[in-house]
Amino acid sequence: MAEQAGSVASLAFPGSRSGETPLARALTTPQGRIGARILLVAILLLAWEFAPVGKGTGFWLSKPSLVAGTIWQWILDGTLRVHLQATLAVMAEGYVTGCLAGIGIGIVLGLVPRLHRVVSPFLAGFYAMPKIALAPLFIILLGVGDLSKVALVAITVFFLVVTNTIEGVRDVDRDLVRSLTLMGATRVEVIRKVVVRSALPWIFTGMRIAVRYAFTNTLLAELIAANRGLGFLIEFNSGNFNITGAYAGIAVLVLCSVLLTELLSRLEARVSRWRG
Amino acid sequence: MDQIAPAPTQSRKRDDPAKIRLVGAGKTFQVRGTELEALKPVDLGVGGEEFVALVGPSGCGKSTILNLVAGLLAPSAGQVLYDGEPVTGPNRRVGYLTQKDTLLPWRSTADNIRISLELKCRATPRAEATDRVAQMMELVGLRGFEHHYPAELSGGMRKRAALARTLIYEPETLLMDEPFGALDAQLKLLMLDQLQRLTRHRRMTVLFVTHDLGEAITLADRIVVVSARPGRIRAVHEVRLPRPRDVFTIRFSEDFARQHERLWDELKDDIIKGTDV
Repeated sequence: MAEQAGSVASLAFPGSRSGETPLARALTTPQGRIGARILLVAILLLAWEFAPVGKGTGFWLSKPSLVAGTIWQWILDGTLRVHLQATLAVMAEGYVTGCLAGIGIGIVLGLVPRLHRVVSPFLAGFYAMPKIALAPLFIILLGVGDLSKVALVAITVFFLVVTNTIEGVRDVDRDLVRSLTLMGATRVEVIRKVVVRSALPWIFTGMRIAVRYAFTNTLLAELIAANRGLGFLIEFNSGNFNITGAYAGIAVLVLCSVLLTELLSRLEARVSRWRG
Repeated sequence: MDQIAPAPTQSRKRDDPAKIRLVGAGKTFQVRGTELEALKPVDLGVGGEEFVALVGPSGCGKSTILNLVAGLLAPSAGQVLYDGEPVTGPNRRVGYLTQKDTLLPWRSTADNIRISLELKCRATPRAEATDRVAQMMELVGLRGFEHHYPAELSGGMRKRAALARTLIYEPETLLMDEPFGALDAQLKLLMLDQLQRLTRHRRMTVLFVTHDLGEAITLADRIVVVSARPGRIRAVHEVRLPRPRDVFTIRFSEDFARQHERLWDELKDDIIKGTDV
């Protein structure tokens, strides 16, 4: 990574390597980059903390120290745990349901092209539709509780995963299927050992993209109508003009997104090892 | 996936001694609306335990013949019989080593070679399978590469892994499509030696496609010369060299040279005619 970054830089500015300042050179090492990120955040937070404000603007702007204090308070009194748990539970339930249905139905549709040709316009239509538009409907049908949000997340995840699974199954190398068939493999064995396995990278790609959509739609659904969850926390605090609380909710959200992204890219790197 | 018809088992009609028989079997492909005749109707019989080589210029329909016997293609004319029964679907009695190695990219070399032993039809205890895989890897000179993925092997190594994967389950008939094209000369001789030992020892029937006349003479009982597209059988040569043959020195014998010359006379017109050999 470090070398790559360096070579890109020297491509962009030929001959600039020798004239680099120590600071610029420090940025090519992983430690240097992490240090620079911390510095960047620190500068922004300090600027925010000590921004010259009057009494009115101070209320709307709040301060990082106040935000941190609120988060600390939430940790102590259990508020954070309750809302975080609610959000993650909805997201996880919807995600798992959507993935299971998407993979199962995707494999069937991938294996039976005749069936797939019948339903593909519907799949394409629903795939393109922003699923969040269904949220108000689901709330009417399934109530303000978790169920409506789980359903929304599951539907979102389903269409992403099913599309990729179908593509993956259809992409299977026919020659691999033939060679296993000649060896005497049954249809089930061919599906298990070749078709599903070769579709896995596709399925994982769909699942990875779906995590972000699941997270986003959980939050959006909570913003629309909920009585707990991170989305509710943000919405509730800004509704009550508790600006510091709203910022605190957003800060927790940002942290969650960063952790989620990091987790996913690590999983991805581990799964695709055989690709030489 | 293709519909799979069960292969006929244990119903040999012994009035025809041939293991494989093509009866006026031809193949025509539809390519963008036009008809392309890959193989003119041919007649060919391969006896049980016989080693037959198909030689001829590239694109002459040699691979088509193998695909017909394997049941991966249906003939557009005539019939293909195996043990006297028409081949109507994937022929599970043959091991087919295609030109393209069909190793599973997500399995290590050892796991690729093992795969046939994992199937229900020849389920093998784990310890025994591991032993046989180790033996096979030794045989094709891949020891030390058990945990490498196919993408980490050279072209020649992948070919050998594919060969090991086919030989390990000892099919009664072996179809091979230029299996040693990518190997260097020394390694090729070693593999020919192993192949001869194994197929003779296990009494396999072999139908072997090659463009290397020397390879064909070294291994085969009969050599079938196929002419340029549309393929048809131009001549059949008996190879009258005693067995077992020493693959390393037989090339230097007089008989071998004579065979080679006769074959070359058959083939050169086709080759000079400007095919892509």
